[in-house]
Amino acid sequence: MNKNRATEEERTRALKPTKKPEVMERQRLPVRYHVEDYDVADRPRRFLEAFAVILRHSNYRFALEHFIRMSAKCSRCSVQCQVYLASGDLKDIPCYRSELLLGVYRRHFTMGGMLKGRVLGDSGLTDEMIEEMAESFWNCTACRRCSIECPAGIDHGLITHLGRYILSEIGIAPRALVVSVREQLEGKTGNTSAIPVPALLDTLEFLQDDMRETKGVEIEFPLDVEGCDYVFFPAVSDYLMEADTLMGIAAVFAATGDSWTTGTGYFDGINYGLFYSDRMLERIVKKVHAEAERLKGKNILIGECGHASRSAKYFVPTYCGGEKALPVINIMEYTYGALTEGRFRLDPNIVTEKVAYHDPCNIARQGWIIDQPREILKAFCKNYVEMEPHGENNICCGGGGGTVSIDEIRPYRTTIAGKVKAEQIRGSGCKYLVAPCANCKKQLRELVEDQKIDCEVVGLHDLIYKAIILENKN
Amino acid sequence: MQTLLELAQGPLFRLTFAIMALGLLRIFILDIWGAIEAYRKAGDKNIPWKQAIKKTLGWLFPVRKAFGSRPVYSLLSILFHTGLILVPIFLFAHVELWKSGTGLGWITLPKSWADYLTLSTIIFGLALFFGRIAVRAASFLSRKQDYLWPLILIVPFITGYICAHAGVTPAGYRFYMLIHILSAELIFVLLPFTKIAHCVLMPLSQLVATLAWRFPPDTDEPVAISLNKKGVPV
Repeated sequence: MNKNRATEEERTRALKPTKKPEVMERQRLPVRYHVEDYDVADRPRRFLEAFAVILRHSNYRFALEHFIRMSAKCSRCSVQCQVYLASGDLKDIPCYRSELLLGVYRRHFTMGGMLKGRVLGDSGLTDEMIEEMAESFWNCTACRRCSIECPAGIDHGLITHLGRYILSEIGIAPRALVVSVREQLEGKTGNTSAIPVPALLDTLEFLQDDMRETKGVEIEFPLDVEGCDYVFFPAVSDYLMEADTLMGIAAVFAATGDSWTTGTGYFDGINYGLFYSDRMLERIVKKVHAEAERLKGKNILIGECGHASRSAKYFVPTYCGGEKALPVINIMEYTYGALTEGRFRLDPNIVTEKVAYHDPCNIARQGWIIDQPREILKAFCKNYVEMEPHGENNICCGGGGGTVSIDEIRPYRTTIAGKVKAEQIRGSGCKYLVAPCANCKKQLRELVEDQKIDCEVVGLHDLIYKAIILENKN
Repeated sequence: MQTLLELAQGPLFRLTFAIMALGLLRIFILDIWGAIEAYRKAGDKNIPWKQAIKKTLGWLFPVRKAFGSRPVYSLLSILFHTGLILVPIFLFAHVELWKSGTGLGWITLPKSWADYLTLSTIIFGLALFFGRIAVRAASFLSRKQDYLWPLILIVPFITGYICAHAGVTPAGYRFYMLIHILSAELIFVLLPFTKIAHCVLMPLSQLVATLAWRFPPDTDEPVAISLNKKGVPV
């Protein structure tokens, strides 16, 4: 018996509808995530129109052309997908999911497909196919583990990404993400957690007081300082939920003495556009860069957050002038550099429990940040254990691709999407699970709670904060 | 029969070979052209070439990479591909034909190797066919062409082996040779238009996947305008 496979009872619980039947009827969308009301008329035509426009203004077409010629249906991806391994549902195989969109592309955007459709009398895209895509693309956590396994190099993550983009243009995207982005781009507070600046100031003051009491040292959170080396953008939810992570980061800067600042004009690293709409992705990335430029910062520094880091690292150059754009680094890169240069010290006698490290997909899958956090942990954690597989082959927390923000699908995330991860954590026997990503932290906390695993999910800088040796310069 | 054989060996061979060569060249150029265009439009031109090349070589020569998750399938697939590629190109009889037709020749496989590889291609082709039926995930994903290809591909190997070995009558030899050539020509014609196109596109795959994430800048506005959403709130 496959220990990763969800039981019938778990499947029933995970896949239970979350919406009232009348809502599903009105929206003609039998999916578990909530969607704002949208125009349900003539969906296939509007889907194809959006698809055509996106193809015209993007780089997707050449990839789709390549993928439809290469698709060999070998099913290798099935052994890597933690969703399929847990659900056992053949429709969760990445290659099948991709085919939902590739089939539409082949039928409506290639000469051969259009001719074949005409000859066979195939009317093409239907409402049912749109409904299936709407369900399927959000069952995926966009972790892209399947993509590294595909011999044909088909990037199922990219296809899901595009599928979500097209769906969102006809009004189908999880409300949780849309509402957050709306607040970030058009709301009064300008961030996804709707934190007004006075509340931010209060929080930072509170954190400074806390650090003074705990560590006996004055540690600052600089605000709106111009010309700093680093302009800091954490996932803004950290200000509400990850005080220890933020204090750890501030403590590292206090020790190194490098200049850094948070901008009150914009202080949110989260970019849910990455998960459902390239248009939103672009607008948010430009906001981040504009704030860093306003403050005349030299680098954009992203906090402990996988998707925020990836959005900035890979899309700041894309949307903000290529090589002219400000460099982007993740806080773990900074901390690792400072530690190896001997600019701060960590007490090796503080964290004695078993510690394991979870690789956030968005920073590990491409091999960007893998070794640095491990080296930091090994430098002061006596009892570091490695989970297998890890690094580029890591297993997703189960809440990737924005799904963690969709609270109504929590049973799905913790009984199916995160099932394989849960077994991996349990197997490691760790007491502290280090997850340097706001999304992973939230998901893994819910996962260990729902799966009843005795382990505490923390950030890397939470542990650094415990162990850092600070000198009282006063 | 003799006329048919001459037709198959002569004009039909030239025609189908040309379709294959031009067809494969076409899709290869289209792929390269697409990649160049994508690179030209990309806002971020920093491409991790080394990583892409490493991954490409990893899948072209899947010595280590292939055995991680589905070792049996990988082994079957590698052995099948080995015979499939080597035998048609390096078989002594084939090279002789090229030499007599074009004057070009190259190294050939020792006869015993060619025999083993032919037999292994047939056996592993059948194994892949039955594996596809047996593995739940694979059979669920499979289209008609996925089942047909291993079978189509081994026909010229079976008939070629019979012609080279079995003590068939001259009439029998002509029959098997005709099937051998016609099946190969069918494969030639289908190659550029089916999934077997991967025989030329495979080296570009990792590059395409890498480049595809390099988006063009400033697409929000043109997309919004085209969809009548300019200025429309989120």
